[in-house]
Amino acid sequence: MGILNMHRKEIPKKSQADLLFEAQVRVKRRFMVQVGLSWVIFLSFIIFLFSGTTFTIGTRTFSTIALDTEFIRDNLRFIAEGAGQTIYVSVLSICLATILALLAALGRLSKVPPVYALSTFYVSLIRGTPLYLQVFFFFLALPQLGIVLSGLWAGVLALGLNYGAYMSEIFRAGLSSVGKGQREAAMALGMTPRQMMGRIVIPQALRFAIPPTGNEFIAMLKDSALVSATGFVHELMWRATKVGRAQFNNLEALIIAAIFYWVMTLVFSALQNRLETRLSKGDR
Amino acid sequence: MSAIVRISNLDKYFGRLHVLTDINLEVVPQEVVCIIGRSGSGKSTLLRCINFLEEPSAGEIEVDGLKVSASIRGKARRNAIRDIRLRTGMVFQEFNLFPHMSVLDNIMEGPITVKGMDRGRARQIAEMNLERVGLLNKRTEFPNCLSGGQKQRVAIARALAMEPKVMLFDEPTSALDPELIGEVLEVMRKLAHEGTTMLLVTHEMGFAKDVADRVVVLHEGIVIEQASPAEIFSNPRDPQTRALIDRYRVGQASQQA
Repeated sequence: MGILNMHRKEIPKKSQADLLFEAQVRVKRRFMVQVGLSWVIFLSFIIFLFSGTTFTIGTRTFSTIALDTEFIRDNLRFIAEGAGQTIYVSVLSICLATILALLAALGRLSKVPPVYALSTFYVSLIRGTPLYLQVFFFFLALPQLGIVLSGLWAGVLALGLNYGAYMSEIFRAGLSSVGKGQREAAMALGMTPRQMMGRIVIPQALRFAIPPTGNEFIAMLKDSALVSATGFVHELMWRATKVGRAQFNNLEALIIAAIFYWVMTLVFSALQNRLETRLSKGDR
Repeated sequence: MSAIVRISNLDKYFGRLHVLTDINLEVVPQEVVCIIGRSGSGKSTLLRCINFLEEPSAGEIEVDGLKVSASIRGKARRNAIRDIRLRTGMVFQEFNLFPHMSVLDNIMEGPITVKGMDRGRARQIAEMNLERVGLLNKRTEFPNCLSGGQKQRVAIARALAMEPKVMLFDEPTSALDPELIGEVLEVMRKLAHEGTTMLLVTHEMGFAKDVADRVVVLHEGIVIEQASPAEIFSNPRDPQTRALIDRYRVGQASQQA
């Protein structure tokens, strides 16, 4: 009895708050574990779907999709080499898009009618037509004007212009997220409108726009597949369709490409999450 | 002594609303003038007309010999307004510090960008002014790490770093928690004792009573009374002033009780 009591004394007593907090952590952890397990199950199902297994239920026989593993082994490398091109095209395009989006958003604030009109006209025209069509347009129309761009640059131009139009809304929101008080403080210091925009408003708007721009980049990774349509950019999609068509193994080729797109998206999403938490820490 | 701020025949409309009517007001160097009045009486608008954050509808503003009247237009006007802003320092109710810059950069921003000062000199001035508001130890922090009172003190240092001829305070303590008001008022009191010319809109009657050289009472856009604080607080002439002072007294009595 005596020993037991002494022993009990040595354990530091947990406060009510500690216990509640631990319970919360347990609930959160259990949730995450279950989500993870479910992912594994879904993934296994997809793999099973492409495993070429034959099985019988009762009197009926089922079989899942069989893939040509030899083709995959032979062409994996060729297709994979397109991932670099995909990222390259996407990075160039997002840079162009960011610049255009900022200009379009600033134009939208302009009190000069032609400038305002140019901004709205650009956004309207781009948003009013399909991206697929725009990719062809730059590839086909510009040479008629004597401007011959490589497939890569035509693609980057199309993607950049397209995303720039959509992203102008992000930058517009960014610019309007900078409060009136900030502008007034800048003006009260004697800044010119240009200094106020360059030193105070745009830096804050850009910080606001970084996370959504990351999202756009992730979307762009996949939309860059459309530039393969011109036949001159040897990115993932182009390579997959080329070898798939030549050897009548379209499905296998596309699955390889899909895996690469997905993995790239996962990696960039993780980076994006990290960036977002870091930015939100600096805020407020 | 000649006035450092002279407001003549100032009128201001917001749409059809006549918010300021024929305001005439002068501030002499080293004077501390408090503008009091109910909310909606136009006191903030009056202050903001001085550095043209609000565009006066009619009348003339003169700061340190530089005059801007409604008749000047175009580029000359823009330059004159900018020169007036260089001669005035403004402190806002909501602080309006630049959140993407450190405390020191907030204060250096004006001298560097607006005055074209080199970084070394700007840094010296910034540190000197941070010292004045007692926050030199916070120089590398970002505004989001500061309390409201500290933010406002940094904002005061930012305005001082431009070496203005007159400091304008627009309800500098109204956005603060009660326990943080004291530190800001203390800094302002110190500035007043150092001979800074100050024009402030405030609800802090205690401050007006103790520190102001003159109190201006605004009611529905009209200056209804201006006198020394002793006179205003002991012998208010206008019934509106009396009502304002009485409400302050009641508040003070209930605080003491």
